[in-house]
Amino acid sequence: MARAHRIFWAARLQVGQFFFAVLSLVASGVPGSVWAGEGSAASAAYVTNQIGNSLSIVDLATEKQVAEIAIGGKPAGIAMSPDGRSAYVAAPDGREVIAIDTASRSVIKRAAVGKGPLGIAVNPTTGAIYVADWYEHRLYVVDPATLAVTATVPTGQSPSGVAVTADGTTILTADRDSNQVSVIDAATFKVQSTIATGERPFGITIDEAAGRAYTANVAANTITVIDLKSRTHLSDVPVGLRPYAVARAANLLFVTNQHDESVSVIDAVTLQPVKTLRVGGFPEGIEADPTGSTIWVACWDANTLEKIDVATLSVTARIPVGEGPRAFGKFLR
Amino acid sequence: MVRVVASLMVALAALLPVAAEAHGPSRQKVVSKIEINAPVDKVWATVGNFQDMSWHPAVAKTEGTGGNDVGATRKLTLQSGGVINEKLTKYSAEERGLAYEITDVDVKVLPVTNYSAQMNVSGTAEKTIVEWRAAFYRGFVNNDPPPELSDEAAVKAVTEIVQGGLGALKKKFEGG
Repeated sequence: MARAHRIFWAARLQVGQFFFAVLSLVASGVPGSVWAGEGSAASAAYVTNQIGNSLSIVDLATEKQVAEIAIGGKPAGIAMSPDGRSAYVAAPDGREVIAIDTASRSVIKRAAVGKGPLGIAVNPTTGAIYVADWYEHRLYVVDPATLAVTATVPTGQSPSGVAVTADGTTILTADRDSNQVSVIDAATFKVQSTIATGERPFGITIDEAAGRAYTANVAANTITVIDLKSRTHLSDVPVGLRPYAVARAANLLFVTNQHDESVSVIDAVTLQPVKTLRVGGFPEGIEADPTGSTIWVACWDANTLEKIDVATLSVTARIPVGEGPRAFGKFLR
Repeated sequence: MVRVVASLMVALAALLPVAAEAHGPSRQKVVSKIEINAPVDKVWATVGNFQDMSWHPAVAKTEGTGGNDVGATRKLTLQSGGVINEKLTKYSAEERGLAYEITDVDVKVLPVTNYSAQMNVSGTAEKTIVEWRAAFYRGFVNNDPPPELSDEAAVKAVTEIVQGGLGALKKKFEGG
């Protein structure tokens, strides 16, 4: 019913480009075209509800919210421990990092970190937690057992998104107000280089198969494609209004456009548009299921977690969650 | 010495342009709807005219260009004398909906930044529902906002505008 009240901005299927995308799925030997489902399906989503001051736990098999845990502090960032036993939330207003036990669905520890903790990520090999501070312009390294800060790395202005390479050696931050990505050595915590992006990069996502990273550039209405090996800016690709974050599944990139109630679908190889999907208002956090068959999107205005079927490029579920979901980070487990 | 440095820093900070895109950490939301006993087409004819916001009690004058085309602009002069500049970002006569953004406003006039909103009209020949959804950040872009530029102040100010406007629409069409 609520959807009838919303403005309809027709999904545009660009037929030629769509067929090209299908063809490139079949192609081999093209960088990035070998991406396939590599893991087993995620079982749950942990969605930070910033206005609701809570964390929704959504069972992905039944497509239902099964718990909503009080968190406080206007939670936004989310990350998972490598073993999946803990979820970590960054709450910028509360200035805290909060650890949640995923089995008992309860808060097990909380600690003050910085003055504006927002983006959060976990090193997949060591379990170390990295927290970007929006106001202090630095990255905190946080011990997962104690939640104590063990190191501090200066970044560009207002770092937001954080991502870590699968081998655990490199941390990337999207420095929103410096229009750059900082490349940080995870052993020495030295900034090794910075890479220019489009205006106001927010979310950052690593695409291991393609050896690339993507930022969603809020003010430019583009995503920046970065080559990780050479640490260079490859190109900027136009998307919808106020993009928030990027996810990859199959041979496609999916970008949430906050002010368009849409997700842009882009061919990961040609970087050409494939389709624009209509979703709930203010789509924000986005992540691909490890199998590559599904994309999950948190919609801040609609208060939903929405499911995109990658094969048919259609929205197949809209699951009510708490108030103002952001799910900024890796929220699937 | 410390005080001199501190006051120098304050002076310097005042000289630096505030990044237009900067904002607080937590986006706020105001959603309100009202049922009006009037034909939907009639209500949409008023709400759907981006160049005339005279139906809102706080607005004294609307001046703009571009009609109802996406990209159209309007300058609202408020009864208080304050000015709000807005841009139309979406428009659908078929779905009876529009979306707009504030491109420029003094936080003393409206204590928000990065404000965007939608107005959607639906209903029948007898009854209309107008929904107004606004998304915005508080007026203070840095940490530790003063009370008048806090999240709460922003929500309060926008709630007054939205509810005041919807109430006036109902009155306009239902008479009284």
